[in-house]
Amino acid sequence: MPRRRIFNPLTELLAAALVVVLVLVINRWQFSLVVLLAGVLPAVLLSGKPRSIGLALAVVAGPLLVSSLVLHGLFFPEGTSVLAQWGPARVTVEGLEFAALMGLRMAVFSGALLTVMMTASIPELVSTLTHRGWNRKLVFVIGSAVGLLPSVAIRAQHIRRAQEARGLVVGGGLRRFKALLMVSTPLVTGLLVDASERTHMLEARGFSSTARRTSYLPDTDSAAQRAARWAMTVGVVVFSCLWLAIGPAA
Amino acid sequence: MSSPLTLPLQREASRPRRALIAAGAFLIAGTYLYLVLVQPTDIVGGGGSMASLVSLLGFLGGGALLVGGILPTLTTSSLVVMPLGIALNIAIGQTAGSLGLQIYLDAIGTVLVAVLAGPAAGAATGALSNAIWGLFNPFALPFAAGAALIGLLAGTAAKYGAFRRVYLAPLAGLVVGAVGGLVAAPVAAFLFGAAGTVGTNAIVAAFRAMGDSLLVAATKQGLTSDTIDKLIVFTLVALIVYALPARARNQFPFLRRNRVLAGRTPATAPGGAGE
Repeated sequence: MPRRRIFNPLTELLAAALVVVLVLVINRWQFSLVVLLAGVLPAVLLSGKPRSIGLALAVVAGPLLVSSLVLHGLFFPEGTSVLAQWGPARVTVEGLEFAALMGLRMAVFSGALLTVMMTASIPELVSTLTHRGWNRKLVFVIGSAVGLLPSVAIRAQHIRRAQEARGLVVGGGLRRFKALLMVSTPLVTGLLVDASERTHMLEARGFSSTARRTSYLPDTDSAAQRAARWAMTVGVVVFSCLWLAIGPAA
Repeated sequence: MSSPLTLPLQREASRPRRALIAAGAFLIAGTYLYLVLVQPTDIVGGGGSMASLVSLLGFLGGGALLVGGILPTLTTSSLVVMPLGIALNIAIGQTAGSLGLQIYLDAIGTVLVAVLAGPAAGAATGALSNAIWGLFNPFALPFAAGAALIGLLAGTAAKYGAFRRVYLAPLAGLVVGAVGGLVAAPVAAFLFGAAGTVGTNAIVAAFRAMGDSLLVAATKQGLTSDTIDKLIVFTLVALIVYALPARARNQFPFLRRNRVLAGRTPATAPGGAGE
């Protein structure tokens, strides 16, 4: 059940980025926890595809969170209140607190941005950027890179299967390196040949002209959202300045 | 003869916006110096909010300024190969990360674009690929400046002949990796408590167990992983570029103009003279 989109992807992306900045500014694990539970978690649940977002989060952030907890929980030479000790590994209160701070920060980072990106429609984002008059080269590079990603992955898989049919064994050590080479060379060659064809097509369609672009998609951005984006940004900047000037003393 | 329906042929504004590039480079260098010199003890002291914010905004903003300055100068052939490099970076880097390797392999696309299209395109590819990757994997986001630096250095190395001999490419990779590791370490330490991948965390844990501070441990880990990583990446890219068919190679004026590769006669490339 896809969620009905309320806001423009650009607005949502900016909101997620500002949440990340706020978490960095306030830098308390309590605040990160509140944001995670009150902001990110409901967003994931209401996104319409909580399962795939949860899976992506587990794959992207899960191992990192666990290994970071182990790293700071066990090896934190600056810690003084030792809870337990095995040889060089010491569990300290300070280490666990630092691990919680970094872990929650990473969870908010990945939760907020992944939710936005996995629900946003890339064509809509690209058309918004075009309508807002962003540099068309930048819009092209971003849009085409995001569009290429899945096809690169599929192509790499096809090439790997073809090479395996020819006797490639993905083993350890030097053989893994050889396997990487045997997959990446045809992949890059094929992509470059495609790119050269795309260059000619783009040039024939006036890509390097500086005239104003026409977008084939309607502008889903509204004046209110534009104003809201500015207001959010200014608000966060002002709050950050105040917090950094006054807050840390508390 | 001229039809009113066609646009007049305009030359691209090919002058680089030096002010933007200089501002970006200045911001990145300033951020790095601030992080390393001013607040080395700040990370684990609890008051690290300023340091992490500075590292995110400084490196990301610097990267954005660099991209803004570089993009107008790029030709269509460079621009078209950039998304390809970005997609390769993300696809291979994500695979290496999820396999728990101690190296990243997330610069293959950047180095490839840098070798084919020059240092400017390489730097823009590095910065943009981490910015785009950051949308899927937020841990890549703050490393945008480091990635831009790697693209820039790789392109410069290619320009001055590091890819003309097969044994020179790994050496150049070693040097670029050392610089890249130094730049990436404070970002990793201040923003994520030195979290990289499961494999790199193990290296950090080893140095921490010897009693190093987090920044020192992250720097040592960066010097270890990044040098090996870039050595492998540069070797891999050199092998790939030499294996490319002439048709794929010929579209890049940078390759021909600077004789990046050995043993190829650049003068016979079709359609290359007008670039």
